Amino acid sequence: MINIYIILTTSTNLLVGMTNLLSLGQAALYGIGAYLAVLAMMVLNLSFIPTLIFVIIGTSLLSLLIAYPSLRLRGDYFVLATLGFQLIVFTILYNWVDVTRGPYGIPGIPSPILFGDIVITGIIPYLILSSILAVGVVSLFFKLIYSPFGRALKAVRDDELSAEAIGRNVTALKIWAFVVSSGFIGISGLLYASYVSYIDPTSFNLDEAIFILSAVIIGGTGNIKGPIIGAVFVVILPELLRFVGLPDSVAANLRQIIYGLMIIILMRLRPQGLAGEYALR
Amino acid sequence: MNSDTILIIDSIRKSFVRNIVNIRGKDEDEKFYVLEDIDLILPAGKITALIGGNGTGKTTLFNIISGFFKADEGKIEFKPNGSLIELTNLSAYKRAQLGIGRMFQDNHIFQNMTVLENMLVADENFFGERPFQSIIYYRKNNNVEKERIEKAEKIFIDLFGEDNPFLNMKNEKAKNLSYGQQRLLGLARLLMGNYKLLLLDEPTSGVNPVIIEKIKAIINYFVENKNMTVFLIEHNMKFVLDVADFCHFMSKGIIAVSGTPEDIIGNPDVRKTYLGI
Amino acid sequence: MLLQFIINGIIVGSIYSLVSLGFAIVYNTTRIFHIAYAVLYMFCPYMILTFFSNLGIPIFIAFIIAILITVVLSLLMEIIIYRPLAKKNSSLNIIMISSIGIMIIVINTIALFYGNETKILNPDISETFSFGDIIITYIQLAQFVISTIILLIFLAFLKFSKFGIRTRAMRDDDILCSVFGMDIYKMRIILFTLSAIFAAIGGGLVAYDVGMDPYVGMPMLLNAVVALIIGGIGRFEAPIIGGFIIGILQSLSVWAISARWQDAVTFTLLILFLLFRPQGLLGEKKRAV
Repeated sequence: MINIYIILTTSTNLLVGMTNLLSLGQAALYGIGAYLAVLAMMVLNLSFIPTLIFVIIGTSLLSLLIAYPSLRLRGDYFVLATLGFQLIVFTILYNWVDVTRGPYGIPGIPSPILFGDIVITGIIPYLILSSILAVGVVSLFFKLIYSPFGRALKAVRDDELSAEAIGRNVTALKIWAFVVSSGFIGISGLLYASYVSYIDPTSFNLDEAIFILSAVIIGGTGNIKGPIIGAVFVVILPELLRFVGLPDSVAANLRQIIYGLMIIILMRLRPQGLAGEYALR
Repeated sequence: MNSDTILIIDSIRKSFVRNIVNIRGKDEDEKFYVLEDIDLILPAGKITALIGGNGTGKTTLFNIISGFFKADEGKIEFKPNGSLIELTNLSAYKRAQLGIGRMFQDNHIFQNMTVLENMLVADENFFGERPFQSIIYYRKNNNVEKERIEKAEKIFIDLFGEDNPFLNMKNEKAKNLSYGQQRLLGLARLLMGNYKLLLLDEPTSGVNPVIIEKIKAIINYFVENKNMTVFLIEHNMKFVLDVADFCHFMSKGIIAVSGTPEDIIGNPDVRKTYLGI
Repeated sequence: MLLQFIINGIIVGSIYSLVSLGFAIVYNTTRIFHIAYAVLYMFCPYMILTFFSNLGIPIFIAFIIAILITVVLSLLMEIIIYRPLAKKNSSLNIIMISSIGIMIIVINTIALFYGNETKILNPDISETFSFGDIIITYIQLAQFVISTIILLIFLAFLKFSKFGIRTRAMRDDDILCSVFGMDIYKMRIILFTLSAIFAAIGGGLVAYDVGMDPYVGMPMLLNAVVALIIGGIGRFEAPIIGGFIIGILQSLSVWAISARWQDAVTFTLLILFLLFRPQGLLGEKKRAV
């Protein structure tokens, strides 16, 4: 799970930390990735690598549908638009029963198959596979953030007007950021689907979107280590609470309360998060 | 006029909708013209100043030239190298790519980026700004980056000498610079691009006399060494007299008086309505 | 049948209007995207539950106590969270994220004490009466009547007091307002009180009909926000109109398509408005920045 969330938060950071776009639609993209993965594996019978490529491209393309209208808006309105899309996607996943089986979910998702005959089953091989992907995604984003592309995004984040005045196409840069980030969120959808072998729309609802966003904000924005710390934190905390010996019913609510408190305290005292370098504006 | 023109502004009109709340709390929309009818020709390779009271539409005119506002009527033509380009329907970033540089009234530099990054990001060469370009063309990207850094450092040395704060602080965030230094960085950044015409909105506001002297030198450097044209909004008349070749006085949405800075200062209308003497 | 759906839409719409107006009171003036407003809507019914079902206080008095406690919660949010952020001059995004934080805390605290499952306030099935083919329950009638009366009172209050013009001034420039001797923090207390009252009444009325769980606030908040955007940001009449439009439209989409798609219809409408008419139906055009 940590690896899945590292991919989620690192990708989201490209939007939140690098471009100052607060998106509440990340869970929708995560869900789109998961459902596309199921489509590729169970209907098209692709093996793992083609599925991966299919999911990345598919999620990126679908995200364009969200990116293009939302990015014409600014500030609150952008957040609202992504929120709107989040709910629309959720409603579609939930209600288009013929295709997604809606609330019944899709069971029996096969384990990933590599190179024709290596089946990834069991926790250890799966851990290795997801770690490889997470490390790959993180190092790719490391490259991206410190490339001229990342620099241009930072310029857009700091001052849109000036970025435009030095000849940068702000809208195109934002769309690129959105699409690239979405493509990689798709990977985490794929990993999730094949890990739990059962998906239903409630894993990709608004609460999940808020959860992803708060993981990024708690960890910190604008660099590589912030989102990773955020992901590790939100995944480890429930385990810690269980370790302390709280009953599950209490622990679930208590951990949410801890997230909420952390968000408020961080926003007040340290808006760049635990380990980030960019303070949200 | 012997010299070539670089920008032709042809009967530009611009209105805003103003929302008025009357005493009963009812509100009405009222359309009013900020720019009534502006005609202006900018000679290439010269420094032209635009003066006028607050709210007379100077910055609005700049925003229309650089493409942040759309004019209601009229057109703007730009002549960077001999051929005339109609700007009216181009977006702001395209105009910048064509060679219109802009500096804003407040220090619009990228606060959370380092001094050096502020320069590099403004480079006229866009290579590497597509998401994966820098990874796929790894070697070429490294070379381009190296050239960019050399270019930026050369600009700092040319403008400010061998030992200057910008070189020493190049890896610090730009928000750590003083206000005056940020202004100078903003001007230096304009040299990274391939600009023919620079629009400077109050370059001397809020900075001390030493920096003003420095800005004067930089503006002259733009025109003499880089063959750029400068169009600036200014309230500091001494500065206008020192640097500008031509001067336009704006009032109530029109260009009321034009001429050399000395003519303008001598004009009785300008003295009464703007200078207050 | 169609008429029945339209009537239902108007009844639901009156609640949307009420809740949306409460959100607008804060958003129009302070620009706080008050997501935690959702929990005020959810909080009130739980207080009614405590006083009415558990302590046996008559429903009417329990309702009033619950509203007062909700107001206190709202003021605590303002004083502990929003005011310090406003004094620090924090950005709207930071305030919004803090608001999400508050929402998470309150929802889970309620869930911790009352459980995640749906609770009901009124165990009886409500009696109905009919005009011809149209069937309305008494609770629905009460919802419509109470919320309409409150909306009318508020509109009258706007017309005959300085509240409208003051809040308008505050929206334009709160620093200037404090320069002119308006105590903006006192003003904000009034705003947060009013908005909590609207949320609490809306929440109580709906919960008395269909019950509640800790998560009912968010969907209602979203409808309220959509109503506000459609009506237009800036005027207090706008969310009222928006609320009725959303209510009727949702009801019609139940009639024409299916209940499952009413959210999709609502949010598609939101996105269309954001794109093509961001100032809403009644909103004023903004001067470009």
